[in-house]
Amino acid sequence: MGYLFDPDNWEWLITGRNARFVLEGFLVNLQIALIAMFFSLVLGLGLALLRLSRVRGVGAATGLWTDLWRNLPLILVILYLAIALPVTWREAYEDHAPGFLPEALQTGRVFAALLALVLYNSAVLAEIMRAGIQSLDRGQGEAAAALGMSYAQRMRLVILPQGLRRMVPATISQLITLNKDTTLVSIIGIQEVMRHGRILTGNNFFGGVQAPVLQVLIFVGILFIVVNLLLSRLSRRLEIRERERTGTTIEPVSGLEDQVTTATAR
Amino acid sequence: MSDLLNVLTEHSDEIGGGLWVTFRLVAAAFAIALVVGTVVAALRIAPSVWLRRLGGVYVETFRNIPLLVLLTLSYAGLRRAGVEIGQWSAGIASLGLYTAAYVAEVLRSGVFAVSKGQIEASLSLGFSYRETLRRIVLPQAFRTVIPPLGSITIAMIKNSAIVGASIIALNDLLKNARIVQAQTFKVEESFLWAAVGYLLLTGAVTIAFRMLERRLAISR
Repeated sequence: MGYLFDPDNWEWLITGRNARFVLEGFLVNLQIALIAMFFSLVLGLGLALLRLSRVRGVGAATGLWTDLWRNLPLILVILYLAIALPVTWREAYEDHAPGFLPEALQTGRVFAALLALVLYNSAVLAEIMRAGIQSLDRGQGEAAAALGMSYAQRMRLVILPQGLRRMVPATISQLITLNKDTTLVSIIGIQEVMRHGRILTGNNFFGGVQAPVLQVLIFVGILFIVVNLLLSRLSRRLEIRERERTGTTIEPVSGLEDQVTTATAR
Repeated sequence: MSDLLNVLTEHSDEIGGGLWVTFRLVAAAFAIALVVGTVVAALRIAPSVWLRRLGGVYVETFRNIPLLVLLTLSYAGLRRAGVEIGQWSAGIASLGLYTAAYVAEVLRSGVFAVSKGQIEASLSLGFSYRETLRRIVLPQAFRTVIPPLGSITIAMIKNSAIVGASIIALNDLLKNARIVQAQTFKVEESFLWAAVGYLLLTGAVTIAFRMLERRLAISR
């Protein structure tokens, strides 16, 4: 305990640009998370719809695809793609990465990381969305069809608004997991918060104070806790508001994204 | 195709040994997760506000912190602080304590899933609070939490791959597969066998939990 709270061990935080350096790394994580979230949500919805398709074979093939990606360890996918991704793909990413992204996000390795994050998370999110859609009463879709709505209209106006709304807590919970998983990209050498922390704890850096590993990582951990708590607060806020406004029931979950999919699938 | 089998037969020590390390890691972490998770769940439903808050702080902390941060903190962090923690202890403790937060939440929701009428009925029949918990609430709660516990275990098996990839560098399945890959330059084959190993473990857990669920099901 003495070691933990010893002011000498926290001096690094107020020395030089150290705190700023860690925060800059954390910003890279957040940006990776945001990009991956966007593409995972879009692709996830597409996969969920394909999975429910009545065209022969499409549903089963999509099911195989999502089951494959969501049952592999994410770190395995990241490490594999970091080695196996064709060089031309990486170069294409480096050429086309928008200029406003920080330098750490311009390297080709980031493409492998993003691809892995999106492949994994879109599969998990697709299962969550599918479970939400399937948990709806069949009568909803049938009634919409009886009113003469086309497939697209039924989905857009009746089924998706209700089905996806039920799954808001589960979806946000998976997005929190995604947010945490961005630290894994440090393993393939992307300069984000874990790497920045490592640099601080290495040789004397800014201000000539060598930072202790424990304190640096506690600081990093607090950053993640703050952002993730804000996300879950948002989820709860949305849930309460939606319940008051629409009277729909929302599947109660508590940080168990994978559980929902299995629980509602049976 | 023959390359695929060659990698397995020539490096069965690495791949099999890695699978065994992953298995032991997961088994030990699961035991910790169950014990700590039960204690935290008990705190979360305790009659005292402060105990409930304590449980809440545990869950929110361990659920919102990345596992990689925990692994690095418990190994490199503690070692730099002068605590001589081993690879295994750090890996098992991090994975176990991380998963315990999820286990606690599942157990808590399982207890809340038992209808209030059951508890009232039990109390009015003269059972004490402890007896009600032990004879009425927990047996029912246990049944409802089996499927989600299975999902948590599967997630834990997948998360265990981070232990070998982190600074702890335990020679687990993924780590050994990467060693094979570095020696043979056979990228697809090495990663494929690691993937097969993880799918075997998660598949076995899925089947085990499904059997457990069927065995404990109450015929109504």
